[in-house]
Amino acid sequence: MNEASATDETQGSRGTVPLASASDLSDNSRRRKLHSRLFYGLCVLISLVSVCVLVVLLVSIGVQGKSRLTQSLLTGAHSELNPESAGMWPAIVGSIGILGVCALAALPLGIGTAVFLEEFKPTNRWLRSLHGFIQLNIANLAGVPSIVYGLLGLSLFVFMFNVFGQIKVNESSGIELMGVERYYQLLTLRGNGHTVLIPQTDLSQPTITVDEPVMGIDPQGRPIQIGVWDPGTPKPSADEERRRTVKRGRVGGVYAKTSWNYFRLPFGRSFLAAGLTLSLVILPIVIIASQESLRSVSPSLREASYGLGATNWQTVRHVSLPAAIPGIMTGSILAMGRAIGEAAPVLVVLGATVAKNTGPQHLMDNVVTMPVLIFNWAGRQQATYQELAAAAIIILLMILLLMNSVAIYLRQRLRVD
Amino acid sequence: MTNQMSEAPPSAARSTASAPSRPDERSDETCIHIRQFNAWYGAFQAIHELNLDIPKAQVTAFIGPSGCGKSTLLRWINRMNDIVPSAHARGTLNLAGADVLADTTDVVNLRRQVGMVFQKPNPFPKTIFDNVAFGPRLHLRLQRGELEELVQWSLQKAAVWDEVKDRLHAPALGLSGGQQQRLCIARAIAVGPDVLLMDEPCSALDPASTLAIEDLIYELREQYTIVMVTHNMQQASRCSDRTAFFFEGRLIESGPTEDVFTKPKEKRTDDYVRGRFG
Repeated sequence: MNEASATDETQGSRGTVPLASASDLSDNSRRRKLHSRLFYGLCVLISLVSVCVLVVLLVSIGVQGKSRLTQSLLTGAHSELNPESAGMWPAIVGSIGILGVCALAALPLGIGTAVFLEEFKPTNRWLRSLHGFIQLNIANLAGVPSIVYGLLGLSLFVFMFNVFGQIKVNESSGIELMGVERYYQLLTLRGNGHTVLIPQTDLSQPTITVDEPVMGIDPQGRPIQIGVWDPGTPKPSADEERRRTVKRGRVGGVYAKTSWNYFRLPFGRSFLAAGLTLSLVILPIVIIASQESLRSVSPSLREASYGLGATNWQTVRHVSLPAAIPGIMTGSILAMGRAIGEAAPVLVVLGATVAKNTGPQHLMDNVVTMPVLIFNWAGRQQATYQELAAAAIIILLMILLLMNSVAIYLRQRLRVD
Repeated sequence: MTNQMSEAPPSAARSTASAPSRPDERSDETCIHIRQFNAWYGAFQAIHELNLDIPKAQVTAFIGPSGCGKSTLLRWINRMNDIVPSAHARGTLNLAGADVLADTTDVVNLRRQVGMVFQKPNPFPKTIFDNVAFGPRLHLRLQRGELEELVQWSLQKAAVWDEVKDRLHAPALGLSGGQQQRLCIARAIAVGPDVLLMDEPCSALDPASTLAIEDLIYELREQYTIVMVTHNMQQASRCSDRTAFFFEGRLIESGPTEDVFTKPKEKRTDDYVRGRFG
């Protein structure tokens, strides 16, 4: 009974619909269409606002910086005295060097972690909770401000928690493993200050006093006998002898001859430390991007591989990774773009030095990076430096654009195959 | 291959102790021997106390409505369910005398011995040649010539050679659905299995391709023990020797296909094969 009456009622209310006047209906539809158009307009307006901000930024930077977009900007180095000729070559090389270290550290670690998290899901209960713990932490690490990573890098890479002794910044200390030879350097009697070197045996002695003849080497690396001349006696007459004779009591200072593979612990304020710090900044991004693209590999491909008797590793190596590589590369390049633009962690790790004429000469060398140089220039009073900063921003943006285009190209290119 | 799996199965004692609840329907030699088999996904029991013998070199079809456990059983035969973290099973599942479910079973060798073809054709995004060569490359170190020979043999066996012989190095994804599925069968037999598991191999294909696959299945049973899950009654009656009907995780009836379809012992089987439900 109740059911019957209920159906009656619904039929009744349904019956009222045709009673609504035709004008009501069309009014309603007109209103809905109007709302739809209004919302469309609102969306366009909102997106225009963000585009406008970007355009204003680019135009103002372009106007300010275009007069400084010269060849000397690309080839020169920072100059305190002559801003007209200042350039950013060492900063470009420095940024690329740091980026290289960063990529070498972050990509294998990040992709490896992603493979572990996505492809080697453990069945063991303890491992599974470890798995979940890592996953949770990565999500959180992605949100940590980069300056915090800078401070971590400072204690972890620059000082290494002072495990290798108290480190004075910009001084050679700690454990030197390779790529460096230390000498005392002395001036001989020959006119314009000919230098000879004596190998430093006791690293704790910052100077040497020459009182008697010793063995040394000349600037060409040939071993020579260093003679001693007493003031008051006649100097050796032969030029060859003068070249290798020093005044008795002459004090020599330390001179370090480094090759590119100079390596020491801790890393100190070096581009190696900066690159590793930046790799910490982008590690979560690389992991998350790689995980996403591994997750998007169709499970049926994995099943096919397992079904043929492939091991976990064979499946990862031959099926999952090849299918995920376009996404992984895109994510990694975008992460690199983030790294090249980071100023805060680099400032913390390397300090704010900009007076450097070259890129990194060895692994432990300090470098200037583009964001740090821009930061320095933009903070100066002179209009020339302001313009230089704008021009440097243009160069940085162009490099970033280039990297992003490569990412898009790779994604398109590899996806088709 | 079976040598590696011939350790004494821990659950063998259990299976001999309890007599099978159903009279044994073994026709020839039994290939897969299942007793008191139970399987779960987490707390959900997908298969209850299942007893079944799958004979060698014949086609056995599993039929039944969706969710009746037939795919689950299939995926336990080559331990494919190992990838599903919540899946676990108990009971006896012997393949040529070796305990499949034992922890000591080497799944890599098991899956070499038991090939699998999936519902949707899933060729790798590689060339046709590399797809078929994928399995052999995993397990063996072959000379280029031997590999080519094996690939050709497999493709011929899977009745797809004539269609692809001129474009072996073209991407496999460029093939039609039916060709892709036959390529997947070629890929599976290239590893040299004894058993082929097919999980609704034709459900994503058009009728013409389905027919080609069915003919192929008919051919292949000479050499392989084939276990096939299907939703298609006609398919089961056309190309299987034996049929097992599953319902709600239990085996209701199994026997020669003709008997199951023409004079089923159980009413539910009768209803299902006549299309009254499912």
